[in-house]
Amino acid sequence: MADISLNAEAISSAANLTYWQLVRRRLLRNRYGMVGLAGCLFIVFTVVFSGFIAPYAPEIKDRVAVYSPPQTIRILAPEGGLTRPFVYGIKEQMDPVTFEITFSPDETKRANLAFFVKGDPWALLGMDFETRLIGTADGSFVHFLGTDSLGRDVFSRMVAGTRITLLMGVVVMAASCIIGTIVGVSSGYFGGSFDTLVQRVVEFVKSFPDLPLYLALVAILPRRADPTTIFILFAGILVLLRWADLSRELRGKVISIRSMDYIRSAVAIGASDQRIIGRHIVPNTSSHIIVWATYQLPEVILLESFLSFLGVGVQAPMVSWGSMLNQVRDFQSFAAAPWLMAPVGMIVISVLAFNAFGDGLRDAMDPYSNG
Amino acid sequence: MDEPLLKVENVVVDFRTATGTVNAVRGLSYEVNRGETLAVVGESGSGKSVTARAIMSMLAENARVGANSKIWFDGEEISSFSELQMQRIRGNRISMIFQEPLTSLNPIYRVGDQVAEIIRVHRPMPKKEAMEEVLRLFKEVQLPNPEARLGQYPHEMSGGQRQRVMIAMALANKPDLLIADEPTTALDVTVQAEILTLLKNLQKSHNMAVILITHDLTVVEKTSDRVVVMRYGEVVERGATRDVFAAPQHPYTKHLLASEPKGRPGSLDPQAAPLVTATDMRVSFTLTSGGMFSRKRAELVAVNDISATLRRGETLGIVGESGSGKTTLGMAMIRLLTASGGRIKFDGIDITRLSRKEMRPLRTRMQVVFQDPFSSLNPRMIVGQIIEEGLQVNGIGSSAAERKEMVGQALEDVQMPRDAAQRFPHEFSGGQRQRIAIARAIALKPEFILLDEPTSALDLSIQAQIIDLLRDLREKHDLTYMFISHDLKVVRALCHNVIVMQDGNVIETGPTSQVLENPSTEYTQRLVRAAFNVIAA
Repeated sequence: MADISLNAEAISSAANLTYWQLVRRRLLRNRYGMVGLAGCLFIVFTVVFSGFIAPYAPEIKDRVAVYSPPQTIRILAPEGGLTRPFVYGIKEQMDPVTFEITFSPDETKRANLAFFVKGDPWALLGMDFETRLIGTADGSFVHFLGTDSLGRDVFSRMVAGTRITLLMGVVVMAASCIIGTIVGVSSGYFGGSFDTLVQRVVEFVKSFPDLPLYLALVAILPRRADPTTIFILFAGILVLLRWADLSRELRGKVISIRSMDYIRSAVAIGASDQRIIGRHIVPNTSSHIIVWATYQLPEVILLESFLSFLGVGVQAPMVSWGSMLNQVRDFQSFAAAPWLMAPVGMIVISVLAFNAFGDGLRDAMDPYSNG
Repeated sequence: MDEPLLKVENVVVDFRTATGTVNAVRGLSYEVNRGETLAVVGESGSGKSVTARAIMSMLAENARVGANSKIWFDGEEISSFSELQMQRIRGNRISMIFQEPLTSLNPIYRVGDQVAEIIRVHRPMPKKEAMEEVLRLFKEVQLPNPEARLGQYPHEMSGGQRQRVMIAMALANKPDLLIADEPTTALDVTVQAEILTLLKNLQKSHNMAVILITHDLTVVEKTSDRVVVMRYGEVVERGATRDVFAAPQHPYTKHLLASEPKGRPGSLDPQAAPLVTATDMRVSFTLTSGGMFSRKRAELVAVNDISATLRRGETLGIVGESGSGKTTLGMAMIRLLTASGGRIKFDGIDITRLSRKEMRPLRTRMQVVFQDPFSSLNPRMIVGQIIEEGLQVNGIGSSAAERKEMVGQALEDVQMPRDAAQRFPHEFSGGQRQRIAIARAIALKPEFILLDEPTSALDLSIQAQIIDLLRDLREKHDLTYMFISHDLKVVRALCHNVIVMQDGNVIETGPTSQVLENPSTEYTQRLVRAAFNVIAA
């Protein structure tokens, strides 16, 4: 009878993982999710070091290069053989009949590219730097993605725009998470007439047609206020219409958690409502909130881009992807300078990345999956 | 009987999970002859259900079957069959009954149509004929009022009736082999007896082979011809049921056989003062149905004017089928539910109308252990936090170190190692979780504990250990228990007095020995028969 102790079940010693360790391990096994995570990290890296990555400050104008097309990086020297990377300058020609301006590489002007060049100053965490990742050896302008109507470098502006776009996304996501959690959890936990009232408010908010309402709300923003105020008010408007989804989802989840025996046990040991919500209910909904947040971020990015594209979102001199796209509103500029659409690429990459990461997280956090 | 109907040879099943590979079944072999019942016995996690699913090739996606695993059915090696070939066998020549009859029937189809579908998949015939066939099956499984049942949805039936529909579905195509995976675990004891009797009779009339998967040894003894005892994915003992029960060879089998709840409750001081008194308790729920403008309200009386008194040190059993109001009564007595009428006195204090805040000082003195140890422990807290929470909330223990010592003491009281405090609930088995739930209750040094079916979600051998533990704790800490159960075997081992409930009313009450030995009502007799004989002779 040696192998059967009184307390017959041996306590397993192998699987000694906390919930979060398990989530991390499942996420690492999900290839699609990991690609998404890599994309997200890339975007975040761009946000933090945008001053370093962008060759120029977003407001710097190259007056001789208005609407100039992207310059190709070349490594094959005209005289043959490999050489250090360089670009040709741009030659501007006007068709004498149609007055159409065409650009072609000017092979007489050759500028070698160099890394870690001295450029426009930028700041990070209160420290000032002057080194930029890439530039020309002789300090002349280089435009990898061309320039806009004022001769500003599209690539630099796109990198700088990551900041505002992502900041908007994170602010709106965080604020609607907090509001949605507080409203949803309290509504589900306390129930009764409070719940009925809150849910009618949620339905009221959700019943608005989104787009006309955004436009109407943005229309009443003070036009002459400074861009920072407009940015905050704009974020506020987005939050106003975004929290309702989460609160509705959480309410349902809380109602099901509320009937679990561990909540009743907590009542039986005399725990207060505050403690039950803080220690038992919110931790058990956290995975839902986190996954919701990762799905919310790309939605806000898209919405911000769309509204800024319409000219009602982020205002100059702030740069966001949407406000950059605002410059290609008419067909003429689209036909003349298609490179101004470059931010669309960044929007697609970031939306795909955050969605993929969100999918991976959702699968990893699902307690019923055994993958 | 030259060749067995089903032969399982050297089956290995592994599950790949994020934490590594779990070997669920390790080289299992058994065979089943035509017309015999083979019982596969083991505790949860022993791999008995996984084997059954491997036979049906219905394993989860992350399961891997070993290369040398062979399954022969009626002379053919079905382990190498394609999915299409298996579809022709499943539900036709081999069928299966699952544990939970609520989730294994599709809630949006009428039960008649669901059974007819199984018939028509394997034997194409006009719908009308199929429905006649279903009606015949419903009569065969003794569903009351079979014609009316055809058009009903699963939710309109009781658990036992749903299980009868499942059996009808399994029998629809006259299978050669029926795999019953814990077919009665989710059912009341009285219903269990009926279902098992039905299965036994059907097996005889159809000359089917049956694999009965169960953890309940009483069921095995009464229903099977041969038995296979499994542990950790391996067979530890096999043989004719009679021989195994008469002379078990392996120590684990001996241990299982010895784990019937035994013993009697300790003596009770007849002069003890009453601790909890409930007078004319009434709990009713308002059921609303219909739309907003045609709302109907019906009053459901869950507990109908029941009085109960528990003296200090007494264990009072509350017995009845599910839905009889026993849990509602218990919860109302410790004010986790509000009664609509009656009075509750706890140690002389009238607690009937106290608010939740006013109840707080009394909470440490009355505790509760729930039925399901999987939902009663917060999955995001470690065991130490779970047990310590009550101490923190009630300001017991002056320092963290002192509270830690109290948590350790509580864990020792329930025979768990102290280092269990650093682990999460999901790392423990059902029985261990139930010990943790008991530790949480006794850490507060209560006088009264409500035990709401604390053993019914557990395996039999674990049940016996928990019963012993509860009895020891009662003596050590001078506890008063109110023990809710449907299992009279457990009640006999633990309770001084017993109240038998049905539909919110008291049917019978008195000292346990008297009620169990001389039940005066037909209902109690039925409960007693179900608990001690399983199959009505």
